[in-house]
Amino acid sequence: MSSSQKSNVLPGFGLSLGFTIFYLSLVVLIPLSAVFIKTATLSWAEFWETVTTPRVIQSYKLSFGASALSALINGLFGFIVSWVLVRYRFPGKKIIDAIVDLPFALPTAVAGIALTAVYSKNGWIGSLIEPLGIKVAFTRLGVLLALTFIGLPFVVRTIQPVLEDLEIEFEEAAASLGASRWQTIRKIIFPAVFPALLTGVAMSFARALGEYGSVVFISGNMPMKTEITPLLIITKLEQYDTAGATAIAVVMLVSSFSLLLLINLLQAWRARR
Amino acid sequence: MSIEAKNISKTFGSFTALNDVSIQFPSGKLVALLGPSGSGKTTLLRIIAGLEVADKGSVYFEGEHATERSAKDRRVGFVFQHYALFRHMSVFENVAFGLNVKPRETRPSKEEIHERVMKLLKLVQLDWLADRRPSQLSGGQRQRVALARALAVEPKVLLLDEPFGALDAKVRKELRRWLRRLHDEIHVTSIFVTHDVDEALEVADEIVVMNAGRIEQIGTPDRVYEHPANSFVYHFLGNVNLFHTRIHDGQAHFANQTFDVQADSGAALVHARPHDIELSREETGGGWMRACIRYVHAIGPLVRIELIQADNQQIIEAELSRERYAEQRFATGEMVSVRPRQVKVFPAGPAAGDYSI
Repeated sequence: MSSSQKSNVLPGFGLSLGFTIFYLSLVVLIPLSAVFIKTATLSWAEFWETVTTPRVIQSYKLSFGASALSALINGLFGFIVSWVLVRYRFPGKKIIDAIVDLPFALPTAVAGIALTAVYSKNGWIGSLIEPLGIKVAFTRLGVLLALTFIGLPFVVRTIQPVLEDLEIEFEEAAASLGASRWQTIRKIIFPAVFPALLTGVAMSFARALGEYGSVVFISGNMPMKTEITPLLIITKLEQYDTAGATAIAVVMLVSSFSLLLLINLLQAWRARR
Repeated sequence: MSIEAKNISKTFGSFTALNDVSIQFPSGKLVALLGPSGSGKTTLLRIIAGLEVADKGSVYFEGEHATERSAKDRRVGFVFQHYALFRHMSVFENVAFGLNVKPRETRPSKEEIHERVMKLLKLVQLDWLADRRPSQLSGGQRQRVALARALAVEPKVLLLDEPFGALDAKVRKELRRWLRRLHDEIHVTSIFVTHDVDEALEVADEIVVMNAGRIEQIGTPDRVYEHPANSFVYHFLGNVNLFHTRIHDGQAHFANQTFDVQADSGAALVHARPHDIELSREETGGGWMRACIRYVHAIGPLVRIELIQADNQQIIEAELSRERYAEQRFATGEMVSVRPRQVKVFPAGPAAGDYSI
């Protein structure tokens, strides 16, 4: 009886929520839970030992550190790229717009090989900067470069629509009120774009954490130096140590989930304020 | 502060927005830039504000050359049609913005800013909404906040771009009367753009009628309405009945009257407002034309009657007061005599009735 009174102006909530949970379970949760189940075959001590060996710890540091740094770099330069794409008209704009999506479309291994070729000692850029003492290929800098390459489109594509919606009137209003260009960017444009920027940076970060294909080529995979965590997982799998691989995967999973959740909460908090 | 624009021209691609426009805005007046869309009124306003750069010509503030000055340095308050309030700031922060971005040496103290903002919010009767976000306000309230924000920096000129254009009819009327009272209080030189004739006639001290990038007439509302300079102005300010006649030796004859026209020969158009059309059953002859009533629309304060002239099938529109209509009871299909009480005669030119809103 009471259910008839609870009719909603947007019917179908029950059905669509049911579908959402079912779909997410099928595609995301069930495969991921297998990771946890497999890990559970290890004892607590074994698990702890596996995920805290110095080599693994080093890889966390590199993976999380380089991912975070690449996301920040993308945040800055992605902002500039989307600004240029939205605000100015110039010949070749459509081409540049399309180039931004290339990291999305390119098989990551191709990106890795290309980057390695360009930045290695004999490559176009590598041969120019190596004499200056800057080594990119087979160093941590190379890892950072590959992760930055992979993450750029996420930032640009999340900021772009927000910038497009940000009417030029706001800037004109700020200018007529006596604000300098820098003040306008800092006080008007940046706050408006910030939530999208945060989302873009978070997505770029998440993408970088999971990246494997491009990094393995340029990093050289030197233990304790340029090994990323996904590489260690693959290494363990190749040694038929499935439980060990899933144990490390669990650590990555939990920590990246916590980080993304934190960013979401931060955004919700900002939106409410 | 007085403003002068000299020989301003501006094109957007192949479209000429302003064509060699020169105009002076006297100090302390509330001036309306009136014209149809595309007449260049907003462009002129934006050039004065420094938000647009003229292709040719110069702008003077108080006799001083200001063409090169950026919008930031012009000390102009600008109010946008869609308010352009900063969404992530409260009403208070919006109004305080102009004060907060001043360089440290000239920036008032925090207390002073607070005091000034609250005073302005009181002036626009919104001090009780200081902590709200713009999204929580109605359109009329938003526009008042925008006005307070523009006034906060003590501009020498206030420029308003269709300030009431996005509001509904009732709020629009209230707000324009409020603007008039506000202007009587603060006397800052103000220019507002509108395509609403009633708004311009009711609010402005002076009206500038613009069309196709040129100024057609400048004058008080009274002057512009009673003595339109040309056919365009006449058309733009209200409904028109047109009658054709010819000019001989600088004079046109119509309905037993003679009018001086600014042309030696050619066709002339006699303009008459619908409310100046007289209807009669009895009168015939001198100056009266026969017409057949086609349609009577008797809703609202005025009764609108549409007639067809008997000799040339031209449509005439007449407006009668309710009382007059009640006396006479004209009916559809009836033949009556009509005569314009008051007319203006202009030489027929390309300007006559060739625009649409």
